[in-house]
Formats: sequence, C-alpha cells, structure tokens
Amino acid sequence: MAQVAAQKPVFAPWDDPKQAPLIQFKNVTKRFGDFVAIDDMTIDIYEREFFALLGPSGCGKTTMMRMLAGFERPTEGQILLGGQDIDAIPPNKRSVNMMFQSYALFPHLSVWENIAFGLKRQKLPKEQIDERVNEMLRLTRLSKFAKRKPHQISGGQRQRVALARSLARAPKLLLLDEPLGALDKKLRQETQFELMDIQEKTGTTFVIVTHDQEEAMTVASRVAVMDEGVMVQVDTPAKIYEAPNSVYVADFIGDVNIIEGRAKQISDQVNIAWAEGQPSIFKGPFWISHILATYRPTMSGCHQVKPSRRRPLIRGVYRAEISLGKTKCGCHSRQPLASA
Amino acid sequence: MRRFILISVPYAWLLALFLVPFAIVIKISLSDTVIAIPPYAPTLDLAGGWAGIVEFFQGVDFETFEFLTSDDLYWKAYLSSLKIAVIATAITLAVGYPIAYGMTRVAPEWRPTLLMLVILPFWTSFLIRVYAWMGILGQDGLINQALLWLGVIDQPLTILNTPTAVYIGIVYTYLPFMILPIYSALEKLDDSLLEAAEDLGCSRFTAFWLVTWPLSRNGIIAGSFLVFIPTLGEFVIPSLLGGSKTLMIGKVLWEEFFSNRDWPVASAVAVILLLILIIPIILFQRNEQKQREAEG
Amino acid sequence: MRRLSWFNATSLSLGFAFLYLPMIILIIYSFNASKLVTVWAGFSTKWYGELFRNEAFLDAAWVTIRVAIMSSTFATILGTMAAYVLVRAGRFYGRTLFSGMIYAPLVMPEVITGLSLLLLFIGIGLDRGVVTIVLAHTTFSMCYVSVVVSSRLVTFDRSLEEAAQDLGCTPMESFRLVTLPIIAPAVLSGWLLAFTLSLDDLVIASFASGPSSTTLPIKIYSAVRLGVSPEINALSTIMIGIVTIGVVTASIMTKRAAVKQMRDEQAAERAGE
Repeated sequence: MAQVAAQKPVFAPWDDPKQAPLIQFKNVTKRFGDFVAIDDMTIDIYEREFFALLGPSGCGKTTMMRMLAGFERPTEGQILLGGQDIDAIPPNKRSVNMMFQSYALFPHLSVWENIAFGLKRQKLPKEQIDERVNEMLRLTRLSKFAKRKPHQISGGQRQRVALARSLARAPKLLLLDEPLGALDKKLRQETQFELMDIQEKTGTTFVIVTHDQEEAMTVASRVAVMDEGVMVQVDTPAKIYEAPNSVYVADFIGDVNIIEGRAKQISDQVNIAWAEGQPSIFKGPFWISHILATYRPTMSGCHQVKPSRRRPLIRGVYRAEISLGKTKCGCHSRQPLASA
Repeated sequence: MRRFILISVPYAWLLALFLVPFAIVIKISLSDTVIAIPPYAPTLDLAGGWAGIVEFFQGVDFETFEFLTSDDLYWKAYLSSLKIAVIATAITLAVGYPIAYGMTRVAPEWRPTLLMLVILPFWTSFLIRVYAWMGILGQDGLINQALLWLGVIDQPLTILNTPTAVYIGIVYTYLPFMILPIYSALEKLDDSLLEAAEDLGCSRFTAFWLVTWPLSRNGIIAGSFLVFIPTLGEFVIPSLLGGSKTLMIGKVLWEEFFSNRDWPVASAVAVILLLILIIPIILFQRNEQKQREAEG
Repeated sequence: MRRLSWFNATSLSLGFAFLYLPMIILIIYSFNASKLVTVWAGFSTKWYGELFRNEAFLDAAWVTIRVAIMSSTFATILGTMAAYVLVRAGRFYGRTLFSGMIYAPLVMPEVITGLSLLLLFIGIGLDRGVVTIVLAHTTFSMCYVSVVVSSRLVTFDRSLEEAAQDLGCTPMESFRLVTLPIIAPAVLSGWLLAFTLSLDDLVIASFASGPSSTTLPIKIYSAVRLGVSPEINALSTIMIGIVTIGVVTASIMTKRAAVKQMRDEQAAERAGE
C-alpha cells in the first residue's frame, strides 16, 4: 500500500473543466434478459488516463469493457469516443484495441505474426509493418522470441506479446481485461510497473479491468469501484484509500477496521464517539460518514504496551500479527475492547 | 445476411434430403399398392391444384397398416428384432465392460494405444467385419474344424444362419460403441474414491459395486443405446449371418422393397420401426443432455 | 495407480483377441493357394492377381472412390457450416428442428434413410446413379462431420475470434484466418470420417444406386451372399491394410505432436523470466 504515496499529483484532467473527455458513458444501461449488468452509468474518461475498473466478479466491469470494444451494445444510453457515438461501429472498425484476459494469442501464428496481425488488416506496406512490429518487440523486450509460437514461450512473455499485439495499431484506447491475472505474484508486481512505463511511453489511454485492488491502486490514475452495475466511487487511488465514500468501498480496498460510532465535527476535525465510557477518537479529514469510521492498519502502529508519549487511539485485544508486506503490523481489533 | 446464408444452406439441405423424404415415406405408407409406375396409389398431383390435394386425401387410408397387423410376419419380425436387440445389447455390455475396465487399469502410457486398437475396427468396413465371421462360423469353418479335431464333437455344428451367429455378429461389430463410452466414464473416476471406500471398510468387490459401477452408469447407458438403436434396424448382419430362420425387421423392409416391390408396405414397416425407435432415441438424447449439463 | 489384476489381464487379452482374430484369420486365408477357403494349401498371392484382373471390381472401386471423395467434401463443407450454426448462431427460428435433423440421422436405421431417399429421388424424377449416391452420402455424413466439428468448436476459445475482430478482421476474415486454421484437425478428421462412411456404406448406396453405378460394398455384398470367396478375402485384406496404416500413422503423429507441444511448453516455462 506504500505505493499509494507515490502518486503523481500533476495529472488530473478530470478536475479541469476545459478538458474534453475521450470516452463518455451517457446514462448507459445494459441488460441481459432480466439481469441488469450496467445500471444507468454516466462517466467520463480522459486522454492519457490509466483508468481502473475494480470490483468483484459479476459487477459489470467486463461488460463495460466489452461495450467499449464493440462486442456488446448498450441497451440504453450512448457511448461516445472522442465525441462520436460508437454504437454503430463494429469492433473491427474501432480505434480501440483490447488485451484479452486469456491473451487470445493465435496458437497457429508466431509471436511476430501475432503482433503483425492487426497491421496486416490495415493493409500497410510491408516495410512499415516490419518496422512497427520490431518497434513493438523492442518495447516489450521480445525481439529474440519473434519466431516462436505462443506455446513455446513462458506465461510472462505471452502476456507481453498480447500487450504488444494490442498496442501495434496505436489505438486511441487500450482495454486490458485482467492483464496480470494469469501471472504469479512476483511477476505481477514487476509487470505492473512495466505496464505503467509502457502507458507513459506510448501516451495511450488505458482502461484496465481487475478484481485485484492492490493492482488497481498501483497502476491507475483513477479507480472506479463497481458493485452490481453501479460505480460506487470514482476517484484517485489516494482518495479512495483514505476517504472511501461507503462501507462497501472501504471494505473492498485493503484491510480495514470498521468502527461504529457517532461523529461530531469539531472545527476541521471529527470526533467519533464509538463506545460508552471510552475516549473519543479524533481523526483527521479522512472520515467517511456520520456513523462509520474506517481505520487502516497501515496508518497506525500497534503497541502491545501503552506507549508513553502518545495517547492510544483504541485499545484492543492482541489476536495475531499478520504481515502486510512493507508495513508489518496488523492488529485485529474489529470487536472493540469494551469487554476486555 | 451472412448469418442467414450460413444457417439456410445446411438447413435447406437437411429439409430437402432428410425431412421431405420422411414425409414421402409417411405419405406412401398411407397409399395402396397398385401394379403401375410408381407402384402405389393415389399419387399426390400438385399440378392438379386444390382438386389434386383433395383427391389425394380421399384416397388415403390406413389399409396398409391394417394389413401389417393381419399378417403375423410383421409383428413377429418386430418382436424378434426387439428381442435380438435387447439380448445382444446385454451380451455386448457383459463383454465390453470388463474390457473397458481393464483398459483403465493399465499404465497410462499404454492407454492411447489400447484406445486406438478399439477404434481401429470402427474405421474398417462393417461389411468386411461381418463377412470375416462367415468363414469362421460355417459348416466347414474354423470353429467346427477345431472342435472336430479336438474330438469335442463328431458332427459339425450349425452356427452360421442361426440366431447365435447373429448375436456373435452384433456383439463383434458393435463392441467398440459399448467400450468407448464406458471407458471414458471410468477413466474420469478418481482412484482415491476406491481407496476411500476400502479405507471405510469395503472389500474390493463391494467397493466396485458401490462406487465404480454407479459412477460408470452414464457410460453404460450411452453405450447400451448406441448398440440397441442401430441393432434394431440392422440389415447386413441378419442377412449375411442369420439365414432365412432369423427374422429381423430391417431385412423384412429390404425384401418388401426389393423383392416384392411393395412400396406402401415397406414404407409402413419403416414408419412403425421409427415409432418404436423414437422412445429409446429420446431417452438417449436426454441422457446425453443430462451428462453434458452435469459436466457443465 | 492400481495393479492390473489377473482378471483385468484376462478380459483385455480375450477382448482384443475377439476383436482382432477374425480379421487376422481373414488376412491369413487371403494368401491361401486353395480355392476352398477353409483348407490351407500353401502360401500364394494369386487371389490378389485375380482381383486386379477383375474388371467389375475395379470399376466398382473407382465409382466408390469418386463417390467418397465428392460426398465427403460436400459433407465437410455443409457439416462445418452446420456445426458453426449449432455452436455459434445463438437462437434462430427453427433451431430445435435444425439440431434434431443433425442428430437424427446418426441413430436412424440405414434402411429407413435409404428407403426415404430413394422415394424422394423417384418422386422428383432424378435418375439413380453416382449423383444420387453422392447426395445420399452427403446427407448422412454431414451430420457426423458436424458432430465432430462442433465438439471442437465448443472448446474453442471464443476470445480468439473476438481478438481477430478487435484487430480489424471482418467476421468472415476472422473465420478464415483464425478459426479455420485452428479447427482444421477436426475438420480433417470429419472429412476422413465422412470418406470412410461413404466407402463402407452398403444399405443406403443399395437404395440410391442405379444399375450403372455399383459401388464396391454392393459388389462385395452380392459376392459374399453366395458364400466365402478368396478374392473377397484378398480385397478385404487390402482395405484393412489401408485403414490400419492410416489410423496407426495418424495416432503416432498426434502423439508426437502432443509430446512436442508438452516439451516446448516445459522448456518455455523453465526458460521464462
């Protein structure tokens, strides 16, 4: 979670009313029979953004992506790409490319031919195709695997082929469906930074679908947390983490202690009374609602004995220590200590 | 538009060459035999317009079907076909199950080879495989020669041209149809299930009876239908191995058509055979569907 | 892994003996010098010579091969289309009837199929000959092809087609450039199945053929009805030989390809990052 701090604060086109969005969802609803996959959604995504759709499976994030790619059509509402309604444009005519969850590499074609596939459809001259494929191979460090078939390379390399192939046509918008889902954890972290690097180099707008909150928080400029076809919160990773707008978001993002109590604003601080006879908690600006406060394990140190210098915020029963990677301490105190 | 062509070409083909012919069979089964070309009446004269259609329906009757019930040749043939199909299916199961079971017990690297050996006869001509038995089962065939030489018998046995030969022929030619589905059901069976059963106090036999057999049931059902359904209308086997004594409906139909040139009767025989077959075919489809759903 | 018990071993050896002995005996007797098929009178290949001098058999073989090539090619085209419709077209009017017509011929007694087609050909005044046999064989073997191809299509990763369209293919291009090359082995085995079905078929061909278009199975059938003949033994041996070589080669090639693929994958994983 420490990467959250490394946000680039300058890039924020969503706060700039002069910026024209690249993608606009206008009251989009998508139904499959009785099932509502996307429920009256309105959202703008801007150029050069790295936009993450985050949510559990079945929340509608994949449907959104497939509507952008052209494999599904909205039941109601409009999707605009660069101000133009794209409903009537078939997938093969859209300047949108997609990196599939399964990678969907053509097993009968070599790495080179896979990357060249989209370029050949554009009927580009041969030299231009060669040049572009080689550029993509260099970008993804795959040059020496160009002649191999997909089954002759490792999972991580396949992932990069899929990325290179979808970037080759220089799309305005690249959709990534769980791009790192098939990789093991170590490789996933390395690849996250690689993805961010490539996004920055190419200047392409990325929309990524993921159910891994850590991944979304790491790579994205903005994160949309989705639930049952609705966007619950759309914000920068830092804001989502520190000021979730609902219990759902708070619970979905990272480990959290949820403490019930009554909140009272005192100047710019909030005072939360959460249990009778216990001292109130003073919290900074990051509070969420009148009754619920979230309390991140990473923001606090846990102390087995009462520290001398500072007043304890909450006393808890020590249950177990769970390593959360860089920040070491996690203390289970979800049931506050009234009884302790 | 492309989708329309894609659907309509095979659709039209099947309608014209599968469904329409059936309608014709049903139509002719309702006609009467006459000595003419074509040898039945009435013929549907579409050129005659509405009058032609009316005339046709006035001529239609169930006389042919009444004839089938009056002559005991036909119902005896149906019953005998059913009996032969049921018994042959049971024997094929009894022979095929141990083979399929044995195949799942050999080392995995040998299984594809055995599987290939089961499939191989499947690709060789059906006719030749039936024919191969003619030389073995005949009066002076290999079996009789061997038994005479061993002194088990003094007179050659009559096997060819009896129901026994038909059973042998059916079991032989349809055995792969029984082995393959049972094998694929048994192969999916997890060995640890049997170990668990034995761990919980089953003997090897009860473990087989309580675990293996029920779990291979879908394979058994599929295999049995795959043998039973085509056997019922079988023509080649009774005609080459069964002689005149074995009555099977496929052969009766063939003879009505080619020897007696009685098209309405042949068609009526076909219609009734189809009615008999509809039940097992529907049961078979349902079993397949259930299995597909179970496998997700 | 459980041991192979004596019971398993016995049932396997008896079972395979039952499957193969009749054919082996047939092959042995095709090299018998005697006209009497049951008396061994020394090794000879004279029946093969007789066979190749028998014009009627050679003509019939030629008709059969022509019919088989034509009908299996049509059946493969129609069957692949039908499979694609079954797996991909979704709902359309009359879908149940369509899938019923695909599956019904697989279980239909041949005598009924043959009879009904013959009545159709007579009804529309089509002269019986090579054309009618090809039509009949195409109809029933396209159903087998569509079953083989659709079982491959069911496991086909649909995102491959979507990826092709995403990269600029029209639906037709994505079928030609991506789907077809990948399902090609299934289409090929569908073709081979249709080809063998057509080669083997006696009953339907008997109904659909005219006097000028006798196929090999019809010829064999009329010869063996009179009893066992050494020439037919020789012919059977040739046919069994061709099929055996074909099936064994195919299964060795499949196995080799599978082993190579596995090795490649393992090597790639080891060599990976």
